[in-house]
Amino acid sequence: MRRQIQLNTHISAKFNQELESLKHSVLTMGGVLEQQLVNTLVALKEKAPSLAERVALNDSKVDIMETQVEQECMRIIAKRNPTAGDLRLIMTVSKTATDLERIGDEIARVARLVTLNKIPDSDLVFTGMLDIGNRNVSMMRATFDAFARQDDKAAILAHQQDRDIDRVYKKVLEQTAAEIQLNPAEINQWMDVLWAIRSFERIGDRCKNICEYVIYLTYGRDMNSASMKKTVKKLLK
Amino acid sequence: MLKLFERDILSVEEISTSQTGIDVRDLCVHLNGKLVLNHINLRIPKNKITAIIGQSGCGKTTLLNSFNRMNELNRNHTCNGEVWIDDRNIYDRRERVSMLRTQIGMVFQRPNPFPMSIYENVCFGLRIQGEKNRRKLDDSVERALKNAALWEEVKDRLFDSALLLSGGQQQRLMIARALALEPSILLLDEPTSALDPLTTLHIEELINALKKQCTLVIVTHNMQQAARVSDYAAFMHKGELIEYSDSDSLFTMPAKQQTEDYITGRYG
Repeated sequence: MRRQIQLNTHISAKFNQELESLKHSVLTMGGVLEQQLVNTLVALKEKAPSLAERVALNDSKVDIMETQVEQECMRIIAKRNPTAGDLRLIMTVSKTATDLERIGDEIARVARLVTLNKIPDSDLVFTGMLDIGNRNVSMMRATFDAFARQDDKAAILAHQQDRDIDRVYKKVLEQTAAEIQLNPAEINQWMDVLWAIRSFERIGDRCKNICEYVIYLTYGRDMNSASMKKTVKKLLK
Repeated sequence: MLKLFERDILSVEEISTSQTGIDVRDLCVHLNGKLVLNHINLRIPKNKITAIIGQSGCGKTTLLNSFNRMNELNRNHTCNGEVWIDDRNIYDRRERVSMLRTQIGMVFQRPNPFPMSIYENVCFGLRIQGEKNRRKLDDSVERALKNAALWEEVKDRLFDSALLLSGGQQQRLMIARALALEPSILLLDEPTSALDPLTTLHIEELINALKKQCTLVIVTHNMQQAARVSDYAAFMHKGELIEYSDSDSLFTMPAKQQTEDYITGRYG
């Protein structure tokens, strides 16, 4: 059964406040990451190592935020004994924070490619990378929006954006393989590019995970279950 | 450093003298020849909620009672040590116990309204103090009932018998009766153990609101309640204070193994 979790309806006003600020913390983390990704893409496009350096350094901020969110989740579980939707929200926030921290690591890995000046010479690969990056930004925005509104339909639509990312990823991977075949001596340089492309693809996967948590939050069921797949089909009709 | 969550709770070590509401120094209490409190030292912060937890018979209520010298109702008692409230030791010979108890309110496990009207119950303490001005009494009753979140429910029947109220309302009436004297400290001994879970949450919300105006100390068997409601928590065992810290730390990362065993249900 689908349920929107009402955060402001507990008898304890303090508990309402704690859940609100927990939810808000995820969105704050998301906002920082979105900016990090946009900055990385600008750095990549304009070949600006100083901006990329800043992105790589900022990653520690995201790590600190993740630790704070985890501690707050633990504190609320210990002190409030949350149940049902509240418990699902806390678990969702905790798992989302972990995925966000990983997204931060992936972004930093791409940023390091720019700081090390290992941007691919091939126009095709370079444009492909920017394409995946831009798709990531759009998917991230849609994911955080779905999370903020606890909107399962929006989460499913965001979830489906990963298919496009995977398709572009496959294409860029093939182009990179072709480049490597042309210049096998530069394999080391290309390995870093491959890792960066892989990182972009992983960001999509992580966003997909978050979308699944949002659906779990409203339905209380794992999106991969057969019954949930039916629900997804029904929702999208 | 970036902080996602704001906290206004200091660690126990950081509580300064000016922030202390009750300072217990080396307190030992014997009741009927038995040592009930063994060298207790703790600083209870002002305008915060402190919970005392522990097994039955560990001395929680005795400790609470020693804050308003209620233990003296037991003739066979001895008390050594000091309890400092507002820069004075309440066990000093010059201390006037009746005055002390106007400053320190107490609410018990079972609501015990007097068989009189709601109004008379609330202004009972004020009348004992000699207050006769009707307007002042009216104001105090209204303020106390509002602070106890009971005003809206009883404002049209203030002169009905208090015994007609429900259990939750009676308990809030007891809080209002204590608040009418504008105490600086409110002691709560298992205030919700006779109430249903929802009424309990309402009383807890009230307790939380009251910390703006007074220091609260709550004794409870209900560990979840202690976790929910308190800012600081003290764990006692066999008359000794085992651990005292901010409740966030105590319930997530207790320093002592004994506390961990108790709060995780491994004790005994």
